[in-house]
Amino acid sequence: MKTIRFLFILLAGALAFLSCEKGDPEIPNEGELITTVKYTLKPQPDGNSVVFLFRDLDGDGGNPPVITTGPLKPETIYSGTLELLNEAEMPVEDITEEVENEGNEHQFFFTSTNNISVKYDDSDLNGKPVGLKTILTTGIAGTGKIKIILRHLPDKNASGVANGVITNAGGETDIEIEFNVVVQ
Amino acid sequence: MLLYNRYFFLVFFIFAFPVFSEAQTCSVVFTGRVTDESTGVALPFATVYLENKKTGAVTDSAGFFRIETLCPGNYWVKVSHIGCEPKRIQLFLDKDKQVVFSLNHFSEFLNEVVVHGKNGDNTTQISSTIANNEIQKKSNENLANILESIQGVSSLRNGIGISKPVIHGLYGNRVTILNNGIAQSGQQWGNDHAPEIDPYIADYLSVIKGTSALQYSGSSLGGVVLADTRNIDNGPMLKGNVNYIFQSNGRGNTLNTQLERGGKWVFWRVTGTLKLFGDAKAPGYFLANTGKKEANMAVQLEKKLAQKLNTELYYSLFETEIGILRGSHISNLTDLEEAMSRDVPFFTKPNFSYQIEPPSQKVTHHLLKMKAKYQPREKTFFDFTYGGQINNRREYDVRRSGRSDIPALSLKQASHFLQASLYQNISANATFKAGVSGNYTDNTNVPETGILPLIPDYQSAQAAGYAIYQNKAGKLFYEFGGRYGFDKINVWAISQTLPRKVEKHQHTFNDISFSAGSRYPFSDLISMNANIGYTSRSPEINELYSFGLHQGVSGIEEGDPNLSAEKSVKIVVNTDWKIPPKVNFQVLGYYQHIKDFIYLQSQQEFRLTLRGAFPVYIYHQADSRIYGADLLFSYEPYYRLRLTAKYAFVNGWNLDESIPLVNIPAPNLFGTLAFFPRDFMNLKNSEISLSGKYVFKQKNLHTEQDFLPPPEGYFLLSAEASAKKELSKSMLKFSVFLNNLLNVSYRDYLNRMRYFADEPGISINFGVNYSF
Repeated sequence: MKTIRFLFILLAGALAFLSCEKGDPEIPNEGELITTVKYTLKPQPDGNSVVFLFRDLDGDGGNPPVITTGPLKPETIYSGTLELLNEAEMPVEDITEEVENEGNEHQFFFTSTNNISVKYDDSDLNGKPVGLKTILTTGIAGTGKIKIILRHLPDKNASGVANGVITNAGGETDIEIEFNVVVQ
Repeated sequence: MLLYNRYFFLVFFIFAFPVFSEAQTCSVVFTGRVTDESTGVALPFATVYLENKKTGAVTDSAGFFRIETLCPGNYWVKVSHIGCEPKRIQLFLDKDKQVVFSLNHFSEFLNEVVVHGKNGDNTTQISSTIANNEIQKKSNENLANILESIQGVSSLRNGIGISKPVIHGLYGNRVTILNNGIAQSGQQWGNDHAPEIDPYIADYLSVIKGTSALQYSGSSLGGVVLADTRNIDNGPMLKGNVNYIFQSNGRGNTLNTQLERGGKWVFWRVTGTLKLFGDAKAPGYFLANTGKKEANMAVQLEKKLAQKLNTELYYSLFETEIGILRGSHISNLTDLEEAMSRDVPFFTKPNFSYQIEPPSQKVTHHLLKMKAKYQPREKTFFDFTYGGQINNRREYDVRRSGRSDIPALSLKQASHFLQASLYQNISANATFKAGVSGNYTDNTNVPETGILPLIPDYQSAQAAGYAIYQNKAGKLFYEFGGRYGFDKINVWAISQTLPRKVEKHQHTFNDISFSAGSRYPFSDLISMNANIGYTSRSPEINELYSFGLHQGVSGIEEGDPNLSAEKSVKIVVNTDWKIPPKVNFQVLGYYQHIKDFIYLQSQQEFRLTLRGAFPVYIYHQADSRIYGADLLFSYEPYYRLRLTAKYAFVNGWNLDESIPLVNIPAPNLFGTLAFFPRDFMNLKNSEISLSGKYVFKQKNLHTEQDFLPPPEGYFLLSAEASAKKELSKSMLKFSVFLNNLLNVSYRDYLNRMRYFADEPGISINFGVNYSF
């Protein structure tokens, strides 16, 4: 019977051990999150910059993203600069640098309508485009769309990829956003 | 990997000191009888051979044998008979002894085709078992893949290395897997989370398809898988088994070792497994990053502490690293559509590699079990069981800026289980079983990920009790019982809106189950068992609180904290027919109605995120029903030839929405023709077989329920040859398997990889097994 008593003491001890209270979880530091894409278009040779902004501070869930744009002028050349930010962190984290440093593993792809054309204006270590800097040219007045896709680990040597054709690129999509554009 | 080696040798040296018996007057007489295990009929001309003495006897026409002038000591006795699996037993012969050996005449049939559970005679459970031999031959496979040889069981896969069992159309939270009697805890909710069990460590794998699984904790709504170890051989001589399998597809290596020994102080067994697999190959291309590494070990100790008290200690460690097809890593719908449109997946490499890179999983699982069986009276015994588990799961994604080395999902789970049970023989025919149990689980997200967790931290506590009554009245055996469980869950969720804060929630659930069953042999040729059961299952954490982007569904998955328990009624009827002399037929039919069945309902809305628009799925409840049948047929036109055929189909339907249930296995047909050649050049129990498997197309699915229509049906041919060679004190077994002999390109509906790539092509597997 001693063994039985021992077993019961063991069981009671184990139960006591289980009744401890759990602490609050630590909220993870979302270092990799991109909340904001800012596409700044500066008319050439000079003029006021237009900013296209896609902002989703709480990530995939929660509130819907906020999208703002401005009107572009017809038949104008703009130099475009992309900025990626994590505004959920304090201070705001600049993700642009990460993409720049890993330029050979990243590429932006642009598709547009209403005769708007977007051409690469930068390159990685291997001379392949990245797309953080671009030249955007508008056509006649009207409305159109610009879609910006960022691919991580695309096949930059695949056919057409260096010219901005996404079809054979592969890789994972880190960003896929669309702006409505008014050219007037 | 080294861990296992270290433990292995340590334990080997501690316990493996040989004990020799001393010679005395050699006048011991050893007599006995050999009978057929299933019929009890005497087996004439059976051989009883004493290995150490190199002497033996042959049974007479009534099955009796007699061996005289033996010296007292330990003997390895081998009993064999034509067409039977030989039995090897250790005996201590200190004085004249009489022993009855029963051999299983249909052992090969049983091993291959599956039998009713090893407790088949005192239960109405409708179950099927895969025995040790068959597990050893396939120890390179996953648990779920081995279970697939049971009709009515399929696997839900994610690529090559991850699979989980589907029983009668249900899986995951609805299937309980009992590892050595302890419900496997861990992240069983995930479709890409395979059970952390090494099939080689389990000596028996059983699937309970019926409803009478009340004494087990966990939900038995969709069936129960039992992975059991047998008791340690009580002989004082060292017994061992070494098993090695090479698999050509994936250049996989599997090494298993088992050593065990009885003895005065303690009975012990040590088991270990090492696996190394590289990229599998589909016809035409390598499946990049589909390798796997695994190291498992188990230590089992048994000791009789007192005359009435038996104790058992069991510890197992399972450690794995699994690569997931590189081309199946996608981040939004556009990626998925592009990947689906390709014949050969993105990131396919021209060369084979053992390298595992993200996306991948690393899982470690510890199980500690302590059990005491106290038998104060002959007809009464008590069981006390403790089971502790630690599960550590880390999943890696392809990430930016060197973050690929940081897991994207990192979960730690600790669980403790305590149970006390009573078994009481009321009369010669009636038994009463009852028990109480407590279960505690603590699940924590490790914040290292830098990603909001998919499921929140939680703590759950359960208390449960059950009682079962069994009786045999004439030929009728029946049982009935009930189980009640109380669950309490505390949840610490992180808010989806800014600023992030911790929100606490609490839920309580009551789970009730009832079951009744009976078995009735109409004659020696026809028997029938049936059971009916009501089970409720409270929603699990992922169903209540999951939130986030889920790769598995390429969408945003949201839990619903207001879900109620699922309530199921299942009826299973099984009949076994024998048509003399050589035909066996088994028909099993089932019908299950599930009220408030929990499933992921696709929503009309698309949610806009920075990575594009995603479909939204919310956990929802609807009344559903599942029905199906499992058929088994075998015929032996000639005693060296056997034909086996199996067929299974399942139909699942959401009654509220009038749509099919997803992930229901397609109907499948399996046939084997096996030939057993006569003994040749010391090769015994040889077997050559050819098998064909046809999996139909899953037609019970609407187009809008999936990104792609289910793949076409496919036919796979496989062949197997195996033989045994008996050495003086040991045995060598060889086997060759040819899987997907025709190198067919196919995709399977239950594998998420079907969106991206073909299943593996031909593989030749060589196995060698040495036992002493």
